Amino acid sequence: MSSVLLTNILTQILINVICVAGIYVLTGMTGMFSLGQAAFMAIGAYVSGLLVTKAAFPFLPACAAAVAVAVAVGFVVGFPTVRLRRDYISLVTLGFGEAITGILNYFTPITGGASGLTGIPKKTDLGLALVSALIVVAAVGLFKTSKYGRQCIAVKSDDLAAKAMGVNAPRIKMTAFLLSVAVTAYSGCLYAFYTTYVDPTLFGWKKSAEWVIIVFFGGVNSLTGSVLSTVVLGGLPEFLRFLGEYRNVIYAILVLLIINFRPGGLLGEWELPFGKVLRRPDTGGE
Amino acid sequence: MQLQIILNGLALGSVYALIATGFSLIFNILKFSNFAHGATMAFCAFAGYFVAAANKMGLVPTIAVAVATGGLVALCGEFVAFRSITVRNASPIYYFVSSITLGTLLEGLVTIKAGANFYNYPLFFKKRIMKFHGLVISTSDVIMFCCSAAALLILVWVIRKTRLGRGLRAVSFDRDTAGLMGINVIRTIQFAFLLSGMLAGLAGVFLGINYTLYPTLGSLVVKGFIASVIGGLGSIAGALIGAVLLGLAETQLVNLVGSTLTPVLTFVIMLVFLLLRPRGIAGSNIQEKA
Amino acid sequence: MKRIVAILFTTVTLFTASLFGAGKEIVIGCLQDISGPTSSLGKMVEAGAKWHIDEINAKGGVNGAKIKMITYDTKADVNEAINALTRAITSDKVCAIIGPPIANIVLAIAPISEQYNVPILHLAVDIRSEIKDDGTTYKNTFGMQPNNLQMGAIMGQYAIKNGFKTFGVMYNQSNAYAVSLLEPFTKAVTAAGGTVVKEVAYTANDKDYKTLLSPLVSAKVDAIYMPNYTQDLILITQQARGLGYEGALIAGLDAGPPFNTMLGEDCDKIYYINNVDDTEPKLKDMIKAVKEKAGIDATNKFFLGYDIAGILNQVLAETGPDPDKIHDAMLKVKDYDGLTGKITIDPANHMPTGLEMVMFTYKGTTPVMLERYSAK
Repeated sequence: MSSVLLTNILTQILINVICVAGIYVLTGMTGMFSLGQAAFMAIGAYVSGLLVTKAAFPFLPACAAAVAVAVAVGFVVGFPTVRLRRDYISLVTLGFGEAITGILNYFTPITGGASGLTGIPKKTDLGLALVSALIVVAAVGLFKTSKYGRQCIAVKSDDLAAKAMGVNAPRIKMTAFLLSVAVTAYSGCLYAFYTTYVDPTLFGWKKSAEWVIIVFFGGVNSLTGSVLSTVVLGGLPEFLRFLGEYRNVIYAILVLLIINFRPGGLLGEWELPFGKVLRRPDTGGE
Repeated sequence: MQLQIILNGLALGSVYALIATGFSLIFNILKFSNFAHGATMAFCAFAGYFVAAANKMGLVPTIAVAVATGGLVALCGEFVAFRSITVRNASPIYYFVSSITLGTLLEGLVTIKAGANFYNYPLFFKKRIMKFHGLVISTSDVIMFCCSAAALLILVWVIRKTRLGRGLRAVSFDRDTAGLMGINVIRTIQFAFLLSGMLAGLAGVFLGINYTLYPTLGSLVVKGFIASVIGGLGSIAGALIGAVLLGLAETQLVNLVGSTLTPVLTFVIMLVFLLLRPRGIAGSNIQEKA
Repeated sequence: MKRIVAILFTTVTLFTASLFGAGKEIVIGCLQDISGPTSSLGKMVEAGAKWHIDEINAKGGVNGAKIKMITYDTKADVNEAINALTRAITSDKVCAIIGPPIANIVLAIAPISEQYNVPILHLAVDIRSEIKDDGTTYKNTFGMQPNNLQMGAIMGQYAIKNGFKTFGVMYNQSNAYAVSLLEPFTKAVTAAGGTVVKEVAYTANDKDYKTLLSPLVSAKVDAIYMPNYTQDLILITQQARGLGYEGALIAGLDAGPPFNTMLGEDCDKIYYINNVDDTEPKLKDMIKAVKEKAGIDATNKFFLGYDIAGILNQVLAETGPDPDKIHDAMLKVKDYDGLTGKITIDPANHMPTGLEMVMFTYKGTTPVMLERYSAK
């Protein structure tokens, strides 16, 4: 394997680590399922890509703007939904994803429609992806051990009990949702400026579902596990190319085995003790 | 023109209804959205194709094969993907993830057998369409409507009148208490999966007739999902109403704003609807439990 | 004495050179959608290219060197395609690549391939695969069949020539191929005096087209243009006929066989274009041989793959396995006599010029060749 290829694969894995860290906040910590998270990645990718190619924005301000747009949209989507029961959140986010795909296909003169957005300059390299992933994972780790993080976990374990203890459940769910949206959108920016090309098919609900599975595979209560499983499941296919069509089947069987026989995921609740390094030693758990 | 569109909407709605009932049956008993239902439909449709239709055996054997496969696949699926979660009494989240994964597995198996190519059932009916005072309706839609109506009537009868059906309702209401009252909970859940799988088989064949056969045919399960949420999760009558409404709304929107923007408007309508009536049309508000 | 030494030296050098040369392989890459929704196209290109390369190798290869083709699966996924391209160029050191038939994948790898020198001979029709937004060409991508502008114009002009005047259009707005063929057709039709009465768009999520088709049917247009993939074409045809539409249906490449066997009814009044005339005896023999030996029903992508391999063979014979030289020689390809026509590459836009396409229709379910046609 050449060094260029290795760099590519590592960069992709790191971008995925960022996505999964976002999903971890939402699903792992707060117990909400989004089937439209990939659509926020699309917003990040398209807004930043368009700002740079069409409006001559510099790269980093474009990313900041894209994340801001995504969070604003996330607020509109999240405001009515976080109050509803969990299946409805999946439904609304699913519908949202389809709506975004529809919009991207409809406004062809701006977005390039089905043939995608071309001409995005290459800005994401391994260094940027690595630094971003480290910062995001550290931020999510800090969030988990913070007061908000513990409230998230309380809401996830028992909505009603958490409310009784004085946790403002809708508000804490909203916080987690928006944090997750921001992180996912940022990963979209990195993705667009890595591949230099995006099209609407990249951001369907199956992609969102895949991320949720990755979180469960690694351990739904462990950020370390989620990151680890992204690396394992993300890197595996490249080394298992020879499996061809059987790849998906084997992947599915692996995940089924984990969920049925090791319901905590690979790592259960175990975390790398970065909380201790960065902050107080009391990590939250279910 | 307008009448024709309504008719198209009803036809589409009855396709969705067939998907939504099987979907809602599982929600009713285990309180989770079974995304494997879609892949089960695709799997059965292909089984029907390769076993019966490709050997020129006609519609009835094709449906029989698909329905039998559906029951079998759903039973196996229950054992492989959901049993240990039920026994552990774990959070519904696990069911959900497990069902998506099971869906991937089934879809992968279909892809291995069929490749990414699509297939088309042979023409089962001599006349593809029926005309009625200037209105056009396809024969397959009419037959599908009759088949699904019959299937649903049987389903309702089973749930209301038989011993197993009573068990089903009891387990759906309170699994632990039902178990204490001497109902075999696992057997009852198996029964629900059997029924839902058979419905998936029936739906699969008609989806195949209407829309050709391809490995990702099961993606249409999201329509069943939307319909059953609008209708009120877990209520079979609600799922039916939701499906017909969804079909009607979609065809009207397609006619008014075109297909590409329809998902955008569907999303907005859905959002408003859930804000106004969060428990759906017929659903009782199921309290969320961890 | 000096002369004898010189002769001896030359002989030895030539001998060693030929010794090394004979065992050498020329490695080329074949980057295709082997799995995923468009795999039937990718597999066909691969099979056609492989068929030709086997023929070349059986005759002794290129200047004594055998061609080795390595296939890379893009999985119809942009990320996978970029990885596969990088692997082909940097690890396996291929000197040329037979590229995928799908615009989305080619659009994604075109800018990435700029940093290398390896030419990619692909089959995407969208001219954006060769030409950047600023009008310059990508260094390494070469389109090897008529592009979307040419195909759309061919279909449009031929439709008018055929006596059709009013048109309806039904296209998949979430499919790059369908979108790219829309405007060239409507332009050609309007320029030649026809009218497009109504355009309707659907997306990959739709499977029920009746509501969309109704206005086209009630407008009683002469022909409905549907530049879509085969699966959509079957549904559109069935549902349009079901609604009582009796006019013509015009499709791109995808209404060619196996469309006729899959539709399950007669295909009269359906017009389509093809890259080759597969009713010619020469091609019929080839199709039969392929069926016997490889068990594949060769379709137009097979012959396109076959021609790409042929052009590569000709170019490699001139240049040897040096990507830079292959790139330059590609720009000079002139009148290559392929199965899909005489191929001449325009160095200004990396695409073939004036390539004809073959117009077809059906009688019952049998394809009937109408004529070879190229757009003005």
